Amino acid sequence: MNPPGSLGVLEEKEEEHLATPILGPSVHSDNPQERIQARRLRIAARLEARRREALGEYLDGKKESEEDQSKSYKQKEESRLKLAKLLLCGTELVTNIQVAADIREIHRRIEEEEIKRQRLEKLENEVKTSQDKFDEITIKWEEGKQRRIPQELWEMLNAQQVHCAGLIEDKNKLISELQQELKMKDDQYVKDLKKQSDDICLLLERMEEQVKNVMKTFRQELQNIEKAFEVERQELLTSNKKKWERALQAHNAKELEYLMNRIKKVEDYEKQLNKQRVWDCEEYNTIKIKLEQDVQILEQQLQQMKATYQLNQEKLEYNFQVLKKRDEESTVIKSQQKRKINRLHDVLNNLRSKYNKQVKQFQEENQSLTLDYKRLVLQFKELQKAMRHFALIDDKQFREIWLMNEEEAKDLINRAFDVDRIINTHHLGLPWMAPNFWFLKNVGPISQRQQKSTTQILEEVLMEAEEEGADQDSSESESYLDLPKQVSARTTRKILMLLCDESGFLIESKLLSLLLPLERSECYLLRLDAVFSALGIENEDDLYKLVNFFLKYQTHHSPSSQEPLDLRAEKEGSLVDGKSQEKEPPPSPKLIHPNDVLKILEAFVMGLRKPRDFWVPVKLLKVVRDDSKDSEYWEALTTVIPATTQNLWDALYTALEKYHLVLTQRAELLIENDSLERQNTELQQLLQQYLDTKINSELQVPPTQVFRVPTK
Amino acid sequence: MLPAPSMQETQTIESPSIPSRSSTSTQDRSSTAGQTSSTAPQPSKPTPIIPPLAKSTGPGSGSVVRRMRRIIAEDAEWSLAIVPLLTELCIQHIVKNFQNNPILKQLLPEHQKKVLNHLSPDLPLAVTANLIDDESYWRRCCTQRWPVCHVDNHGGSWKRMFFELHLENLLKHFIPNTTDPAVILNLLPLCRNYVRAIRVDQFLPPVQLPAPPRGGDQSDSGSEGEMEEPAMDHYQLDNLVAGLSHLEELDLVYGVKDCGMNFEWNLFLFTYRDCHSLAATVKACHTLKIFRLTRSKVDDDKARILIRSLLDHPALEELDLSHNLIGDRGARAAAKLLSHSRLRVLNLANNQVRAPGAHSLAHALGHNSNLISLNLRLNCIEDEGGQALAHALHTNKCLTTLHLGGNELSEPTATLLSQVLTINTTLTSINLSCNHIGLDGGKQLLEGMSDNKTLLEFDLRLSDIAQESEYLIGQALCANREAARQRALNPSHLMSPVTAKGPESPVG
Repeated sequence: MNPPGSLGVLEEKEEEHLATPILGPSVHSDNPQERIQARRLRIAARLEARRREALGEYLDGKKESEEDQSKSYKQKEESRLKLAKLLLCGTELVTNIQVAADIREIHRRIEEEEIKRQRLEKLENEVKTSQDKFDEITIKWEEGKQRRIPQELWEMLNAQQVHCAGLIEDKNKLISELQQELKMKDDQYVKDLKKQSDDICLLLERMEEQVKNVMKTFRQELQNIEKAFEVERQELLTSNKKKWERALQAHNAKELEYLMNRIKKVEDYEKQLNKQRVWDCEEYNTIKIKLEQDVQILEQQLQQMKATYQLNQEKLEYNFQVLKKRDEESTVIKSQQKRKINRLHDVLNNLRSKYNKQVKQFQEENQSLTLDYKRLVLQFKELQKAMRHFALIDDKQFREIWLMNEEEAKDLINRAFDVDRIINTHHLGLPWMAPNFWFLKNVGPISQRQQKSTTQILEEVLMEAEEEGADQDSSESESYLDLPKQVSARTTRKILMLLCDESGFLIESKLLSLLLPLERSECYLLRLDAVFSALGIENEDDLYKLVNFFLKYQTHHSPSSQEPLDLRAEKEGSLVDGKSQEKEPPPSPKLIHPNDVLKILEAFVMGLRKPRDFWVPVKLLKVVRDDSKDSEYWEALTTVIPATTQNLWDALYTALEKYHLVLTQRAELLIENDSLERQNTELQQLLQQYLDTKINSELQVPPTQVFRVPTK
Repeated sequence: MLPAPSMQETQTIESPSIPSRSSTSTQDRSSTAGQTSSTAPQPSKPTPIIPPLAKSTGPGSGSVVRRMRRIIAEDAEWSLAIVPLLTELCIQHIVKNFQNNPILKQLLPEHQKKVLNHLSPDLPLAVTANLIDDESYWRRCCTQRWPVCHVDNHGGSWKRMFFELHLENLLKHFIPNTTDPAVILNLLPLCRNYVRAIRVDQFLPPVQLPAPPRGGDQSDSGSEGEMEEPAMDHYQLDNLVAGLSHLEELDLVYGVKDCGMNFEWNLFLFTYRDCHSLAATVKACHTLKIFRLTRSKVDDDKARILIRSLLDHPALEELDLSHNLIGDRGARAAAKLLSHSRLRVLNLANNQVRAPGAHSLAHALGHNSNLISLNLRLNCIEDEGGQALAHALHTNKCLTTLHLGGNELSEPTATLLSQVLTINTTLTSINLSCNHIGLDGGKQLLEGMSDNKTLLEFDLRLSDIAQESEYLIGQALCANREAARQRALNPSHLMSPVTAKGPESPVG
C-alpha cells in the first residue's frame, strides 16, 4: 500500500504546487519566514493525506491499488480466470465421455434387467404351457393303453406324435429364439466394443486436443501477460522519460540563468579587480620604499649581529671543548662506578648465598637438636618409668627382706623365750611370764597409712551417701576421719553428682553406651572415674582440692564476679598451698549453678596444670619412707631379754659348766673301767685258748704244766 | 615446447590451406586481444628457431607462423590425450571387472561417480542391487528396459521403479506349476528394501496340458469346471509380501490381458483359495497402506473374506474394490471395516450395491471420522440409499469427496442433499451425474448451494436439471473456488476477501 500512497502524496504535492504558486509561499523563496510557512503547509498537507488514507475504507484502497496495478494485474487475473475456465471446460469435455458411457451403461442395465425379466416370464410361461401339454400327452398315454383296437391305437399314436412334435417344436423355437437373442447380444457386444473403442479414441483425441489447447492458450496467455507487462513497462518508461525530460528542461533553464548571473558577476568582479590593482600598485610602491629603508637598517644590525655571533661562537667552542673533556671524564667515572656496582653485586650475591646456606645449616641444626631433645625427653621418661619400676621393686624387696629378717628375729626371740621359760621353770623353779612388747606384734615394715586412690574415695563417698539416707549423722563422723575435712559428705556427693551430670563431654561416647544398662551408683562411679581421668585428678588430695575449689569459687563468685582474674590468681595460690588455707563454712551446694560448673572446671584445670609440673619430684620424694623407727625397732628386738636374766643366765651357765665337768669326768672313769674289764676278759680267753691247743701235749714240757702250777 | 614446432611444421607442409584459415582466426583473436600485445612480442623474439622457418615459408607469412605456434602451445589437450591418468586406468579396470570384483564404496566420491557412469546396465542384479544407490545408474537401467518410464508413479526413485517394474514383470509372466517360484524368491533379498508398491494387472492361470482334447466338452459341463477349480489357482503372494518389509501399495487384477480369441471364462477365475491366501497375505502385511483389487469378479463372499482380514489393520488407508460383483452383504462388511480401521478412501465403484448396502454404509459413515473419500459410482442404491447417506452426512464432519454418479437417485435425495449443503462445511466435491434429479431437485440443490461456501466441485451432468440452475450452481462453485484460492493465498485475510467477493458472486 505504500508506493501508491506516497505517489498520491507526491501528486497532491504537485497539485498543491501547481495550485498555489501565486498566492502560497514557496520553499525556495529567499525569505526565511516564507520558507517556514511553506514547510508548515506541506506538513499539514501530508498529515491531511495520511488521515484521509487512514479514514478511507480498505476496499477503496484495494480498488485504488487494483486500478494502480492495473494492466498487468488485470491481465493476470483475466488469464487466470480464462485458464481456469478452460481447464474446467476441458476436463468436463473429457469426462463427458465417461459420463455418457456411464449413463449408457445404466440404460443398458435397466434394459437388460427388463429384458431379463421378460425372458424369465416368457420362460416361465413356456414351462407352464409345455407342462400342460406334456401332462396332456401323458394322460393320453394312459388312455392309449386302454385302447384295444390297433387302428385307434395307431391314430392315437399318430396324434401323440404330432403333439410331441409340436412340443418339441415349441421348445426348439424357444431355443432358436434364445440363440437369436444370444447372437443379437454378441452383435451388441461387438457393437459396444466398437463403440467403446470409438469412445476411447474420442477420449484420446479430446485429451490430446485438450492438451494442445491448454498449451496453446497457456502460451497465448503467457504472451498476453508478457505483452501487458511490456506495455506497462513501456508506459512506465515513457512517463518516466517525460518526467526526466521535464526535469532536464527545468535544469537547463536554471543552468542558463545561473550562467547569466555568473557572467554578470564576473564583469563586476573584473571591474573591482582593476580598481584594486591600481590601488595596490600605489600601495606597493610606498611600502617598497619603506621596506628598503628597513633593509638598510637591518643590514647594519646584521653586521653587528655577525660580530657578536663570531664572538659567541668562539666562546661556545671553548665551552664545547670543556664539556667534551668533562664528558669523557664522566664516562670514565661512570664505567668505574659500573664496575664497582658489579663487584658489589657479586659480593652481595655471595653474601646472600652464604646467608641462605647458613640459614639452612641452622635449620638443620635446629632440627637435629630438636630431635635430640625429643629423644632425650623420651629417654628421660623411660628412665623415670624404670626408676618408678625399680622403686616399686625395691619397695617390695625391702618389704620381703624386712619380713624375712623379722621372722628370723622373731624365731630367735621365741627360742630365747622358750629357753628362758625352760630355765625359769626347770632349773630355777620359778614361774615364767611371757613378756609383752608392742613390737612383737608388728608384722611388716613400719609405715604411714597408705594413700587412697580417687576411685576408692569416690566409692566410699557414694556408698556413704547412700548409707546416709539410713543414718544421717552417725556415719558422718566416721567417714573421713583420716583426713582433715571441712566438707560434708553430702556436699561432696552433690558436687560430684553435678560434675558428673555437667561434664558428660569428657566421657567417651563408647563408655556412655556401655554405662546405660548399669545401676545408678555404679554408673556415677564409672562416669566420675572417666571425668577425673580426663581432668587429670589422680588421688585423694586432688579430689578434695577440686571440691574445695568448687566451694571457694562459689563463695567468691556469689557476692561479686567482677574480678575473676585476681580471684583466679588467688585461687591458684591457694591451690598450690594445699589444704592449709582457711576454709569457710560449706555453703549449700544448691547455690552452684550447673552453668557455672564448666567455668569452674576450666579454672580448676588451668590451676591444676601448674602444680602438676613440679609435683612429679614431690611424688617421687614421697616414696622415700622414714627409717628412724626401724633402728629403734630392731634395737628393741635385740633387747627382748633383759640384762638381769642375762646375768642370771651367765651364773647359771658357769654353775652348769662345772656340773658338766664333773659329770664328764665321771663318765670318763666309767668308760675306763669298762674298757679294763673288757681287757681282762679278753686276756683270760686268750690264755684258755693257748692251754687248750694240741701242741702242749706234744711238747716235753707242756707249758700248761708250767703254768698249771701258777695258775692252780 | 618441442613438439609444438614439429606439429606446426607438419601442418604447414601437409595442408597449406589450414594456416590461412587459422591465420584469419588468429588475426581475429589478435585484434580482440588488443594492439598492446601485438607490439610486445615483436621486439623480444624468444626463440632462434623461428627466423629460418619464417624464411622458408616466406617473409610475409612469418608473423602468421609465429602466431600459430603460440596457439598450439596454448592448446592444453594434446598432452592429456596421449597419457591417461593412472586413476583413469584404475577406474576402467574396475568397470571392466565389476561383475567379479565390485569395488565402489572404497572409492572417492568423484571416482565413484565415474565408475557408475561407465557401468553397464546389464550387470547381474545380485551384484548391483544392494551396492549401488546412485539414481543415474538405475535411470539408465530403466530407460534401457522400458521405453516409457513414469518415475513419479514410483515415488521419484529410479531404483525403486526398476525393482518394482522388474518384480511386476516377473509376476505378470509367472505361470503356476510351470515357472520356478525360486525365480521370484531369489529376487526377494535383492529388492526387499526398495519395493514399496506392487501393481500387477494380470495373473496367469496354470497351463492345462490336456486342454485341447477337453475343449469340446468343457462348454456343456459346468460340474467339471467346478471340479477343476482348485487347479486354477494363481500365484500365491504370501511369501513374497512377507519378505518385502516396506510394501505399502498392492494393486492387483486377477485376469488375463490380451487373451484374444483364446478367451475362456476360466481365465478370469478368482478362486476361493486365491482369496483366502490373499486375505492372509494382506493381514500379515502391517505396512500396507493402499490395497486395490479391481476387475477380479470379487463377489460378496470373497469380499467378506478379504474385508474380515482387513479389520483393525494398523496402516491401511485406501481400499479399492471397484469393478467387481460386490452386493449388499459385501457393502455391509465394508461398512463394518469403516468403523474398525483408519480407512481414508473407499472405492466401491461399479458394483452391485443396492439400498440395504447403502444403508449400512451410511450408518457407518455417520459415526466415522477418518473417511475422506467415498465412491459408489455405478451402483444402484436408489433414493432410499441416497437419503440414508444424506442423513449420515448431517453428522459426519470428515468426508470431502462423495461420488454417487449413476445410482438412479431422484428428487427426494436432492432435497436432503440440499439441506446437507447448507450445514456441511467439509464436503468439497460431490458427483451426482447420471441420475434423475429432475427440475425441482435441481432448484432445491441450487437453494442449498446458495448457502454453501466450501463446495468446489458439483457434477450434475446428465441429471435432468434445468440449464439455468446448473449454470447458477456453476457460478456459486466458481465463487467458492475463488474464495478457497484467496484463503490458500493469504490465510490471514480470511474474512475480507470473502466479504469482498460476497456481493460480487450473485451479480456475476
